[in-house]
Amino acid sequence: MIALVRWVGTAIALSAVAFFLGDYYNDVYRKLLLWVALALSYNFLFGISGQVAFSHFAFYGIGAYSVVILLFQAQLPLPVAIILGVVVCVVVALGVAIPSTRLEGFYLALVTLALAQLFIVVLNEGGTVTGGTGGLVDYRLPTILGVRIAGPWYTAVIVVLVLVTLAVLWRLDRSWFGRACRAVRDNPEAASAMGVDVARTKVIAFTLTSALAGLAGMVYAFVDNTVSPPIFGLENAFLLLFMVIVGGAGRHAGAIVGAVLLYLLPFVLSPLIGHHHALVFGVLMVAAILLQPRGIIGIYDRLRGS
Amino acid sequence: MQDFLELAVSATASGCIYGLIALAYLLMIRPTGIINFAVGEWAMVGAFGGFLLLSKAEWPYPVGMAAVLGFMLLVGWATERVAVRPLVERGAPLLAPILALLGMLVVFRESISLAFGPDPHQVPYPFGFGRLELGPLAGPYQSFFIIGATLVVFAAAWLFFERTLWGKCFEAVAIHRRAAALVGIDLGRVTALSFAAGGAAAGLGGLLVSANVSAHYLMGVPLAIQGFTALVIGGVGRVEGALLGGLLLAFAEQFTVRYAPLPAGYAQGVPLIMLMLFLLLRPTGLLAAREARA
Repeated sequence: MIALVRWVGTAIALSAVAFFLGDYYNDVYRKLLLWVALALSYNFLFGISGQVAFSHFAFYGIGAYSVVILLFQAQLPLPVAIILGVVVCVVVALGVAIPSTRLEGFYLALVTLALAQLFIVVLNEGGTVTGGTGGLVDYRLPTILGVRIAGPWYTAVIVVLVLVTLAVLWRLDRSWFGRACRAVRDNPEAASAMGVDVARTKVIAFTLTSALAGLAGMVYAFVDNTVSPPIFGLENAFLLLFMVIVGGAGRHAGAIVGAVLLYLLPFVLSPLIGHHHALVFGVLMVAAILLQPRGIIGIYDRLRGS
Repeated sequence: MQDFLELAVSATASGCIYGLIALAYLLMIRPTGIINFAVGEWAMVGAFGGFLLLSKAEWPYPVGMAAVLGFMLLVGWATERVAVRPLVERGAPLLAPILALLGMLVVFRESISLAFGPDPHQVPYPFGFGRLELGPLAGPYQSFFIIGATLVVFAAAWLFFERTLWGKCFEAVAIHRRAAALVGIDLGRVTALSFAAGGAAAGLGGLLVSANVSAHYLMGVPLAIQGFTALVIGGVGRVEGALLGGLLLAFAEQFTVRYAPLPAGYAQGVPLIMLMLFLLLRPTGLLAAREARA
């Protein structure tokens, strides 16, 4: 009961912020929240289950594109479009994960890298279905029971998405499944000897987090009311990995800290170095792995411990 | 038929490029187990080296090429020093250097983009334009130059692994790291050498391909994917596998573009499909690794 009150309180507090922000800062705030949602689910995939995948951002794009296509080209009602969009993400995720998790090593990293590349190709070549290089524009969120959610209220929807993502992953992490994921990450042979089905655990973790990314993408589709290929490029897949590592892989708080820091860093850096903040991200990433493998959360833990 | 042979020459040339990138991966994976996704960026650095020395400074081609390769040896060695050795010495899990190298990938790419800007830069042909006809086989000079240079590199790599003591050291480390260390092989030196050689192989690939496609700061990742696909097809165990995988991939790609009724962009999907097929059906690749002899 207290836990529920705490979650609702957080939701109200985070949503209330949106009502005090102007249009520009509301936009920044929404995207920050979406990055946090993505970093949380990517942290479960990479940090907790130990799978190196570059497809997470592509699934964000698959979710965004499929909800727009299903709504405005197939003319489906919103709930059906959302459910079918999740189904698309799950099917693609299973298709990638089943062959690549059967093998040891880093085949998943490579297959997902190729998938992310192929996704952009399909978007560019998709003709009228995906809108080609220009993407899909000029659509609006359909009304729900006669009401169109807009402005700060839509930011509240994103807050709910972030908290639902966090709640699902939190519960999962503390369940039998979360422990199985950590066991598979740290020592697959031992996990297997303890009766954990290694391949199945990997496939479920991959599919579930990819579906969460797809859900975040669906919400994103109505933030800018535009989906186009450059938004879902490979750059952002790397950025997501850097967020989780710099913040502290394997910890929910780490993912949040990393996402907030790396999302806001370009705003601070761009007056100094223009568009080359990616160079700073790369250096931060190498530095984090060499000097502080537990990320910023590791530094925090050490300061608190001493 | 003419069309087919023309295509075969160009496919062989791009297959050789993929083979060189695959060889770069293989040189590092065999002794260390580390997949270095930054090889694509190394190829890009090699291409920009070619632009700097051959287009801007107008050095004679052989001198410029030797300088680029020498520089790439240094780049590979330095990368190992910075991003791999500290982690290996600390006994970090294998994933740590792979992630550190991913960070280096971004560092390489952004540094080049900072230094040269986002526009493509022309790199010259060693023999100019013009076509060479060898009986029924015909193609631009550059295609034959790529094929020749690649064959020399692969012959050298094969001789190194099969005929020299150093090559045997590499094999020994690949087969059993601890046993190799126990018989007195310096693991650190083998790792450093494998990264330097990987840098040179990738840099050569980049230099050769850049004459056809120009040097561009985003050329790395596609090459990294194609090179790794070639490696998965051929198998990580044998040097010849890298070349064979590269050739198969390039033929599949180019024939899809030419003969399949699909938009040209979809050719980029061929590596993914081949990758999935090989992972499902033959995860060891076409050529299996040699086992330790009792």
